[in-house]
Amino acid sequence: MNLVTRHSSIMMCLIACSIMLSVNAFAQNNPTLTDAEVASIAVVANQIDINYSQIAKKKSKNAEILKFAETMANDHNAVLGQAVALAKKLGVIPKDNAVSQKLNADAEKNNKMLNSKSTEAFDKAYIDNEVEYHKAVIAAIETLLIPETENQELKELLQNVLPAFKTHLEHATMVQHKFSTK
Amino acid sequence: MITGSVKRRNSFYWLFSILFFINCSSDPAIHSPEAYTVEIKQMKFQPSELVLQKGDTVIWINHDFIVHDVTEDPGKTWTSSAIQNGESWRMVVTESSNYFCNIHQVMKGKLLVK
Repeated sequence: MNLVTRHSSIMMCLIACSIMLSVNAFAQNNPTLTDAEVASIAVVANQIDINYSQIAKKKSKNAEILKFAETMANDHNAVLGQAVALAKKLGVIPKDNAVSQKLNADAEKNNKMLNSKSTEAFDKAYIDNEVEYHKAVIAAIETLLIPETENQELKELLQNVLPAFKTHLEHATMVQHKFSTK
Repeated sequence: MITGSVKRRNSFYWLFSILFFINCSSDPAIHSPEAYTVEIKQMKFQPSELVLQKGDTVIWINHDFIVHDVTEDPGKTWTSSAIQNGESWRMVVTESSNYFCNIHQVMKGKLLVK
């Protein structure tokens, strides 16, 4: 592992830790989220990964990365569609909040970081980010969003998307391993 | 004597015919094809492993709202192409094979032909 790669990996871990810490801090300091706020976080979290996949489609030339990015775009769009349809059915209007704002702010930094990468360095940076991002989102769903959700249908939706996010993490880790051994 | 011999011969033919019929009807090589269902839900093939016989049919049903496929692993010699939510795909099994979802490559299953 060269110095640039190691630096990139450390940055990814720091960003992921930052997301997890902010989510955990919020969970401890502000134990109540409304369902409208939970819905907003769910929408934002999915949209962020769709945006990452769009950067990958623009910057990568690697077939495996492009295919993974396509899967992320399709799956997170499907989840987003379910979340929006349920919010509409329940009459819930997603409400911006401290967690969704923090997610967006961190994502903005990540977007800049990914866009600044050379073609050669991009693929590893993207898949490292996918691993850390999915870890953070899974932790947020399990420790914050599901416990905070009042509405049973919204809670079930969050429980139903967890296996998909865990499969994404496993898939991303598999791809990441291939890049780390290159 | 002649009548007794003919009777014995007829009895032998009857016995032989009955034994032949019993033997044929219980021949394990003759198998009525069966249909098995694999449910795709919660990002898993359920059951992930099926033991079946050559000529049986497997029907995969996608219950996830995410699109999946069923593809032979590792050669991709057969594939279902995309299976949307609520849709299914069927295949007559001719040999044992491993398979996976080529969209989510960590989802794996196995068909074992006895």
